[in-house]
Amino acid sequence: MNLRVVGANLVVSLKTFYREKTAVFFRIAFPVLLILVFGTIFMDKDDRVFDLYVQDLDQTKASEQLVEQVHLGGKFKITPITPAASAIQYAKDHKLNLVISIPKGFEKSLMQRMALGDPGASVTFTVVYDPSASAAATKMQVLDLMLAEMNQEMSGKPPFIRSAKTSILAKKYRFIEFFVPGIIAMTVMTSSLFGAVNVNAELRQKGVIRKLSTTPITRTDWILSNILYQFILAALATMVILVVSYAVFHVSLRINAWLPVFVVLDVFAFVGLGMMLTRVAKEAESAAAAANAFMFPMMFLSGTFFPVEMMPAFLQKFARILPLYYVNEGLRASMVSVDHVASLRYAAVIGVFAAVVFVLGMMTTTLSEEAA
Amino acid sequence: MTNGTEHVIEVENLTKRYGELLAVNDLSFTVRKGEVFAFLGANGAGKTTTVEIIETLRTPTSGKVRLLGMDVTKKKRDLVHRIGVLPQGFCSFDRITVRETLQYYSRLVGCRNTDVEGLIALADLKDKTHEPFMNLSGGLKQRLGIAVALVNDPEVVFLDEPTTGLDPRARREVWKVLLGLKNKGKTTFLTTHYMEEAERLADRVAILSKGKIVALDSPGNLIENHANHMVLTLQSADASAPEIIRKIGFEPVHDNHRNLKVRLERADDVQKILNAIQEGGATFLGLDVRKPNLEEVFLGLTGEALHEDPADGRGAE
Repeated sequence: MNLRVVGANLVVSLKTFYREKTAVFFRIAFPVLLILVFGTIFMDKDDRVFDLYVQDLDQTKASEQLVEQVHLGGKFKITPITPAASAIQYAKDHKLNLVISIPKGFEKSLMQRMALGDPGASVTFTVVYDPSASAAATKMQVLDLMLAEMNQEMSGKPPFIRSAKTSILAKKYRFIEFFVPGIIAMTVMTSSLFGAVNVNAELRQKGVIRKLSTTPITRTDWILSNILYQFILAALATMVILVVSYAVFHVSLRINAWLPVFVVLDVFAFVGLGMMLTRVAKEAESAAAAANAFMFPMMFLSGTFFPVEMMPAFLQKFARILPLYYVNEGLRASMVSVDHVASLRYAAVIGVFAAVVFVLGMMTTTLSEEAA
Repeated sequence: MTNGTEHVIEVENLTKRYGELLAVNDLSFTVRKGEVFAFLGANGAGKTTTVEIIETLRTPTSGKVRLLGMDVTKKKRDLVHRIGVLPQGFCSFDRITVRETLQYYSRLVGCRNTDVEGLIALADLKDKTHEPFMNLSGGLKQRLGIAVALVNDPEVVFLDEPTTGLDPRARREVWKVLLGLKNKGKTTFLTTHYMEEAERLADRVAILSKGKIVALDSPGNLIENHANHMVLTLQSADASAPEIIRKIGFEPVHDNHRNLKVRLERADDVQKILNAIQEGGATFLGLDVRKPNLEEVFLGLTGEALHEDPADGRGAE
């Protein structure tokens, strides 16, 4: 191994990166944009206020109080609809996903139940909804809960079963704090995978490796300089993502020795995979397509953007064979729940995978034209 | 083997097969120190395969190749520091400038005292030193490639098709650089399919066809020994001229410039043809009588036409 050669190669790679604006965007700015976009979307997920359109056909003091009570619950911003309109037509015309209609006779039925104690007195609210809108289902769940609480209060008896919620985490974490480790894992994966593919397939196709093979550079020098380059990019991207997350969203993530461990293993695993793909698909375009074929399932099925538990059982099983799942979970175990035992377990799995694919990648990488 | 001190390259019974394809067929030749040696052949003749074996990039199927007195199959690590290579279709890092490219390759070959400015001047790239590789024209890229091949002040320079794919002006600019190299006395191994390039630059030319050397000598000797006839060229001759010439037993052909060419075995044939044209009432604008050039020798020896393949520039032959 020749450190002078490794250094020269590293400098060329870094200069190329710095001068290629699209590479800077996709490797550094793009993950930051993802953090900003998703962070903003989910920032106030816990205190989210929904729009609710209410049509009061009763137009009485009691119906007015009911609407006020729903408003005071804090979950809905109420918009009244004129009683003269058809609720269904109004929802269609105004593209509303949920309209609730309080029936005429609401106050009368309420009085029968409360003042006269008639248990048979009841009212039915008409709920008009758009089944194609996912928000409608969430709104209806929240509304049903509120109505159940009102019914409970009106019964005059305390509930028999109550629940007391206790988080397994020391403090309450927000969505963004689960999201950031996933973005770090995904960014390092894409950067390493495509970095290895570009270096080995594109430069070979262009003929740069043909020229390099006429110089004293060895396979070890070449791989070492490329892996160092990927480490630098991974460290840079991780730092930028964390700085933005702390500065903009004031995340509460714990940074400990596991962070560099998982970043390094992520780099080794996906540079190794990239080197192997380059060997199988020699043309730059087909190698990039093969890299995409590996990358997309990992991005969407390994718990980067949403928890694996949200997926069907067979996809959850599939997620557990994806290497990125172990980086995601490992980073979350170390940065969110600070569970060192779980971190060690995930690190062991991804470590074994990284060692195997990197050794295979090294064995399949060559600068020789004859072996290529 | 011949004298190892005089010959920097010694090739003996070299054969290379790719499966069923016999790319190089029992080649033997030597290259003397300080000479410019050219391999001239059509695409697929085996030029690049041979030169890549000598450069230590490929292994021969059989035969012996010694470069600077060392076996190329055993001493690759020693040899790469002492040779310079311009591979076919030279390419470098897109966003790295001319000066940075030279500095990079200088570090790769372990040279601390490379005269980067001297190489830039030799390749006539002074006003392009800060230009990234991707912005250079084809000719400038090749000139940079030649400069890169010289960063370690090599004892032998290999230039594989240095002007393929270039326009005539860019080609001549590269030739200027190569002539500068020749004047410095560098041993140069050149592969080309351009006759004029071989004729202008090479001290000796090996004509290669289907993996075999069919002739090897200086361009002058090749013409002298393989073309004992003359060519009469009639410029802008009448349409009736070919028929008149055919009637007296000669076989005229039109060249690319619509000139009429006639192969002559004896000097007095010129007068015979001119008399026949005058009597037949045909006219022409000018005439030229000369020995054939290297292209005609090549055609005669190989029966192959030399033309540029646009797809050329990658892959071994």
